[in-house]
Amino acid sequence: MKKNLMISRFFATIAVFVCASATFAADIEISKLGAGKDAISLAGLRASGTQGKLFSQTLMSDLERSGWFKVDSSGAMRVTGTAEEAASTVQVSCSVAWAGGKGFQWSHAAGDEDTRRTAHLFADEIVRRTKGVPGIACTRILMVRRNGNKGSDLFMCDADGRNMKQVTHDHVYCVGPRWTADGKAAYYTSYLDGRPCVYRVAVDGGPRQKVSSYLGLNAGASVSPSGAELALILSFPGNPELFLMQLGSGTLTRLTRTQMAAEASPAWSPDGRQIVYTSDGTGRAQLYVMELATRQSRRITFRGSENLNPSWAKDGRIAYATCRGGPYQIAVWDARNSESSETVSDGASHEDPSWAPDSRHIVCSQRDGNNASIYILDTLGDTPIRLFPLSGEWVSPDWSER
Amino acid sequence: MRTSVATVLAFTTAIVMLGSGCASLHDKDSTKATDATLIPGDEAQLGKSFADTRTLDTSVSFEVVQFTYDSFIVPPTQVSKVEAVGKYLHDNPTRVVIVDGHCDERGSNEYNLSLGEQRAEAVRAYLINMDIAASRVQTRSFGKEKPLDTGHDEAAWAKNRRGEFAIYK
Repeated sequence: MKKNLMISRFFATIAVFVCASATFAADIEISKLGAGKDAISLAGLRASGTQGKLFSQTLMSDLERSGWFKVDSSGAMRVTGTAEEAASTVQVSCSVAWAGGKGFQWSHAAGDEDTRRTAHLFADEIVRRTKGVPGIACTRILMVRRNGNKGSDLFMCDADGRNMKQVTHDHVYCVGPRWTADGKAAYYTSYLDGRPCVYRVAVDGGPRQKVSSYLGLNAGASVSPSGAELALILSFPGNPELFLMQLGSGTLTRLTRTQMAAEASPAWSPDGRQIVYTSDGTGRAQLYVMELATRQSRRITFRGSENLNPSWAKDGRIAYATCRGGPYQIAVWDARNSESSETVSDGASHEDPSWAPDSRHIVCSQRDGNNASIYILDTLGDTPIRLFPLSGEWVSPDWSER
Repeated sequence: MRTSVATVLAFTTAIVMLGSGCASLHDKDSTKATDATLIPGDEAQLGKSFADTRTLDTSVSFEVVQFTYDSFIVPPTQVSKVEAVGKYLHDNPTRVVIVDGHCDERGSNEYNLSLGEQRAEAVRAYLINMDIAASRVQTRSFGKEKPLDTGHDEAAWAKNRRGEFAIYK
């Protein structure tokens, strides 16, 4: 296992260099440290006051957690300027410069955003401008904290594991929260009514509405990229099947008719034209992709005994949990390479993958007996990071788009 | 193991489908067995759970149905437990039942909601085949949320793979 991991990291490193040179050579000439990371210096950033220091520390953490940078005072890429404490937040005026005379200015007046958020905004801007991919510093992770069989609640935290907030206070079973695209609400299954129904909850203390309460199962709710439709699993026809619900009218469209098979966990493609889902029509859970225009499905997983819990990245790849003769691992499927020969997690049982909007990082749950912790995996080979040190059973994470 | 499950599956399916008077065993499209449970205007479809409209009858209890790994078919050894409930419902025409489906801890929470529901539906189909009106039987899945035994071995898993009965009056 160790040897295979080293080999996959080697190829991943090669892949990074190839991609970097192919896409960015024209614009960016940056000295590299470590495996494919750009060295960036914050030595020229003058931070004053407690908030200024917090800004600087948060910026450094965000840049390193992006996976693209190593903060090092010898870096050819430089951030210079000021971050001054102002009221309970920070006022920033900076320049970012790299070789070839390239760079940009960035400033942020002391306003409604707190210091950490201001740093996140700046870090994401640096990533966007230099790498051409979305940053993840401003994003949030939603998850379920279970309390044995006594009930659960939704929690969320920032992408760096801080700012943990409890979203629901019901102490009832809840499963599978999925963000809306605007990052303000989530759809999930809750036993508030003593049985599985789908609800929509505003995460920052807003209202909650019951969205689907047919008899039998209401689960797997996932909003389309357009925001107009919900994919979900309903069983009132006699068996769990995949449906679409028009949000607003509640009109249903049935997508599967598989009397002896159960469907679960739908996830949308970035263009909204396809849905990947789990179905056990062959006897065990496998992944299928349905083309919505034709309603035709094709199976996409053939390795291992079970493949389930898909998440569809913005770049088109699908992450999922796979069972290949051991504990569940996280694997990645893409249209060109189909099922990859290696998985991106290692060792202990990993489940419930969800892509970050950078199409690089994946958040998942690592199980250990009755406990489970949230981990961030990197498809480009960085060591997995435990998101926060709290003990307990933390499962079903979902990564926001913004 | 796989062959015997398939055999039991085919056998049980044949019984259920023949009983409901429907078509091909291999027809993946909606069959009469499914349509028989989809009665327009039925209380069963309108989202009114017995748990909300009636009172739990705690004077009666039934044995738990055990399922085999990753299967939702009622094993032959467990059929008598379902028949006992069917007989009770025949003899007590005002009573109704919610069948609860449960799973062991393996596999995701989401997939297990569906598997638990399939288990409850299989028991429901059996009861309907015993001429209990579809409107008297509801299903409720708890997936793997409510294990009886929080251990991590086959003994615990076997206990958790179950169907339970809640009678309402």
